[in-house]
Amino acid sequence: MRSSSEQFFKSSPLVVIAAALLLLMITGAVLGPVFSPWDGEAMDFEALEAPPSFSHWFGTDLVGRDLFVRTMQGARVSFLVAFIAVTVSLAIGIPWGAAAGLAGGRVDQLMMRIVDGLYCLPGILIVILLVVLFGRNPYLLFAALGAISWLTIARIVRGQTLRLRNAPFIEAARAMGLSTPYILRKHVIPNVIGPVIVYTTLAIPAVILAESFISFLGLGIAEPQTSWGVLVSDGTAAMESSPWLLVFPALCLGITVWSFNTLGDRLRDHLDRREHIN
Amino acid sequence: MTRYILKRLVFAVVTLFVIITVVFFLLRLAPGGPFDGERRLPPEIEANLKAAYNLDAPLFLQYGRFMVNLVQGDLGPSFTQKDFDVNALIRAGLPVSLRLGLGALVCALLLGLSIGIVAGLKPGGLLDTLLMAVSNLNIAVPTIVAAPLMVLLFSVTLSWFPGGGADTWWHFVLPALALGLPLSAEIARIMRGGIAETNLEPFVKTAKAKGLKSPRIVFRHLLPAASIPLLSFLGPAMAGLLTGSVVAEQIFDLPGIGRYYVQGALNRDYTLVMGVTIVYSFAILSFNLLVDVAYGLIDPRIRIAQT
Amino acid sequence: MSQTLLSKWTRPALAGLLGLLLLSSFLLPYTVTADEGVLTIGNAGEPQTLDPHRYNLRLEETLLNDLFLGLTTFNAAGEIVPGAAQSWQTSEDGLTWTFKLRDNLKWSDGQPLTANDFVYASQRLQNPATAASLAYFMYMVKNAPEVNRGELPVSALGVSAPDAQTFVIELSQPYPYLLERLLYPTAFPVPEHVIETHGDNWVKPANWVSNGAYTLADWQPQAFVAMQANPHFYESVSIANVRYLPVVNEQSAYNRFRNNELHVIGSFPVGELARVKANYPDELHLSDLLSMMYLVFNTEKAPFNDTRVRQALSLAIDQDILTDKVLRSGNKPAYSFVPDLIADYQTTPLLHIGKARAERLQQARELLASAGYNNSNPLKITLRHVSGVEGKKVNLAITGMWRQIGVVANLQQAELRNHFADLRQGDFDVAWAGWVGENNAEHYLTLLQSDIGNVNYGRFADARFDDMIKTAQQLSSAKQRNQQLAAAEAYVVDAYAVVPLYTVSVRRLVSQKISGWQNNLRDVHQIRYLSWSD
Repeated sequence: MRSSSEQFFKSSPLVVIAAALLLLMITGAVLGPVFSPWDGEAMDFEALEAPPSFSHWFGTDLVGRDLFVRTMQGARVSFLVAFIAVTVSLAIGIPWGAAAGLAGGRVDQLMMRIVDGLYCLPGILIVILLVVLFGRNPYLLFAALGAISWLTIARIVRGQTLRLRNAPFIEAARAMGLSTPYILRKHVIPNVIGPVIVYTTLAIPAVILAESFISFLGLGIAEPQTSWGVLVSDGTAAMESSPWLLVFPALCLGITVWSFNTLGDRLRDHLDRREHIN
Repeated sequence: MTRYILKRLVFAVVTLFVIITVVFFLLRLAPGGPFDGERRLPPEIEANLKAAYNLDAPLFLQYGRFMVNLVQGDLGPSFTQKDFDVNALIRAGLPVSLRLGLGALVCALLLGLSIGIVAGLKPGGLLDTLLMAVSNLNIAVPTIVAAPLMVLLFSVTLSWFPGGGADTWWHFVLPALALGLPLSAEIARIMRGGIAETNLEPFVKTAKAKGLKSPRIVFRHLLPAASIPLLSFLGPAMAGLLTGSVVAEQIFDLPGIGRYYVQGALNRDYTLVMGVTIVYSFAILSFNLLVDVAYGLIDPRIRIAQT
Repeated sequence: MSQTLLSKWTRPALAGLLGLLLLSSFLLPYTVTADEGVLTIGNAGEPQTLDPHRYNLRLEETLLNDLFLGLTTFNAAGEIVPGAAQSWQTSEDGLTWTFKLRDNLKWSDGQPLTANDFVYASQRLQNPATAASLAYFMYMVKNAPEVNRGELPVSALGVSAPDAQTFVIELSQPYPYLLERLLYPTAFPVPEHVIETHGDNWVKPANWVSNGAYTLADWQPQAFVAMQANPHFYESVSIANVRYLPVVNEQSAYNRFRNNELHVIGSFPVGELARVKANYPDELHLSDLLSMMYLVFNTEKAPFNDTRVRQALSLAIDQDILTDKVLRSGNKPAYSFVPDLIADYQTTPLLHIGKARAERLQQARELLASAGYNNSNPLKITLRHVSGVEGKKVNLAITGMWRQIGVVANLQQAELRNHFADLRQGDFDVAWAGWVGENNAEHYLTLLQSDIGNVNYGRFADARFDDMIKTAQQLSSAKQRNQQLAAAEAYVVDAYAVVPLYTVSVRRLVSQKISGWQNNLRDVHQIRYLSWSD
């Protein structure tokens, strides 16, 4: 296992770069606000839309709040959105896929038919409709984003389970009279964990982007809370007069999304190659 | 094969019906109404309006009436665009949205396929690393950032393209590019995987052994086989295009139907949102039906497995 | 099998698509500049209707002012001048208004336009079947509310045409501002002969008939509304073809103006003002709009039913900071609920205007303390506002000012229509509101009348104030009426029902290809007063 992760980090310089950038972002989100002397909500009416300087590292926003602190607070919310949404999607996707795979036959057919049907629908548009109609509750938003992204996970888990179902060691477990949940926990889940990690890595940037998309339509997190999506869409509205309002949040968001995608891609390559070797 | 298609067709019709019903009741359950304007609305006037639009009937009766009209192809009057019915609005907006979507798809395919093929031929190489890093940037820069920047650069500064509107094909270049870029990265990713995998297949090795030239191998042997996973991505890609068009139409002032979706929902324009939802669902479902059929035609295993 | 099938169609199909795209872009060359000879204007959004009796939005008024001509109208400076009527008389008691129409008025199809058309239009507006959302604009006409509720037939409405050139309006009580109210599209004539033939379809470009300087040539939803000069209008116009484009986004309008796609735009991003002043000094038109942006308290809801709380929150807000530092877009700070732009009227400013900020904050803290709020038990508020850059800026800044007196405020934003719908239903604590009004104080002050309806968002009720307004409304002399209204405003100022913030400043860009543009308080600019520069 150890040698495998070493191999992974040595496989491409991109992996190291992406991992380092990601670590930087997460550290910033956790510690950034602590280190800055500014409070994210205090407004300085003498320094509205001030460009970056030694006192305000990223400049200040439309009402004179420190943009560095805002961006880091936004990072927390964006990571939180991603975390909750991905958790929700795993919580639905894994049991669904495993159940379909284990059950097989007509039940499997029906369950996967539902997944196929939902797969084609533009999930974000449904989230938009929900948010527009029932108000801008952040938890509704998080949960809805999770509820639309469990499909891929369900497919992968089902595929893996199906393959495992007929594997000799599972049949042996069955013959020993072990219960289905036990088999799931002991044998199926450890075996699907690899692909699930890959898709989690790829799902996080997708959720972060979806959140920015929804914020652009004015349906995101409400002030005084903020997120990268809100900051970026506010930034685009002032991109000529105060470009730093767009540059810094967009850079943070872009770096994070890029790093996650790169890691996810490489991780998948890595797992594929291991499988080939095995 | 006919039975397979028929089954899919029935499934599509049922899905469409479920979507329509769910969205209908979702809209009506939501607070607010279509007649709220920027000026005040005395109760007697609201009563006049409700009577004029049949909103004073019981909900189930309204649903029944809506479905009956829908079967006859009538989506009803728009609540906010009072001088048009929904059919007319969609007739005017759909061509614009289609052109945008098609343009974006062409952009995405051209870019995605070429990057994916080149990168997949030598996975792990310098070119692969470089191309995929750049391609991942296309996803990392969200449309809401890329699109305004493109307008600022190509229309305001350079004056090469118009900043909005849909009068000529030139008007679609920037929006199609903005919408297609993130999609091209997904396509490149899938294509790269497909090419890399197919490259290891015996028949490719045979072809190489026979001394075929590389472009010929790529186009004759690699591309077709590697494109199959792409086919299954087209469904979600279509959904992604629709989603993206909502934002692209707003940024580029395109008079498509995507703008009606959010605006209509905000304004509680029940019939207009229903109309756009139906068009979207119909487009997606029939597109997926086509993909399924194509799949069935190409891959005999699926045909057997599904019947 | 798979390989042959795919390879057979993928390449030619892809090549074909690409070729088609390239070919068509060459076939249809793009010209960057707006079409020669067509005035292209960016309007704030898509009109929802061009039926003057069913309209609701200000952006529709812009178009309707070009398409129709009411009894009175504006000149280029925004002043009220004779329109379809050439003169008028008022009876001694102020209840009967007699209008003499111009000679030889015609519809755009050449049919004569008579006083009967105005009678028909007035009746159509109040007819419940028309479902006119702004029918109440003309509720001062005798029997109008009863007709609109369906209690009386339309024939009972107080309008008549003694002869083809004379139109008479009877009022239920004096209304000296009638000439101003007639400027709104609700008082425009509509062609009975066309409506009788085409029904609701009379608004389609193919059937369109109107009496303004322009007629409707085409309307592509969300793309443009095209107008052309009306050959039967009594004056000739300089600009023959006009296109109004719905450009909702300020940044987009600004981009397209700079790219020469639009001749006139209604607004551009606030932050760009300094740059515009430097780069487009001749194109920039900054002008005050007769309007009031204010905060309204929900006086039915605790703790906002407590005058001390309202006063404290009002004290903490500094209008000058909002306009000079936060907005920086030429908006004027407002110290009184009635804008001081209104003619012949003496406003009453808030009592604490002029006091030092520190002193105001101190007083506010004391008031809050006496109402039971302090640092361990802070007052918590949700402030509602309309989404958009300006709304966000202003309201965020207000929450920042409230923080200075220990108030914890959260923002809740909503789209314009939903915002005002919620306000009308009283679903808020404190909310940002705006009123683009007429050039008379009554239009603002009646918003605080207890029986005005749900447009009194805060449900403010004061019997003495109501009486004072009612007394004013019995007066037919505008001067006496204004004095009585001013007294009512002075009486109500210490109730702190609302916090005036600022009057709007309109930031327009007008291409130098256009001449004749005059800034005015109502921001109305009929195309017939404009011409191409040489």
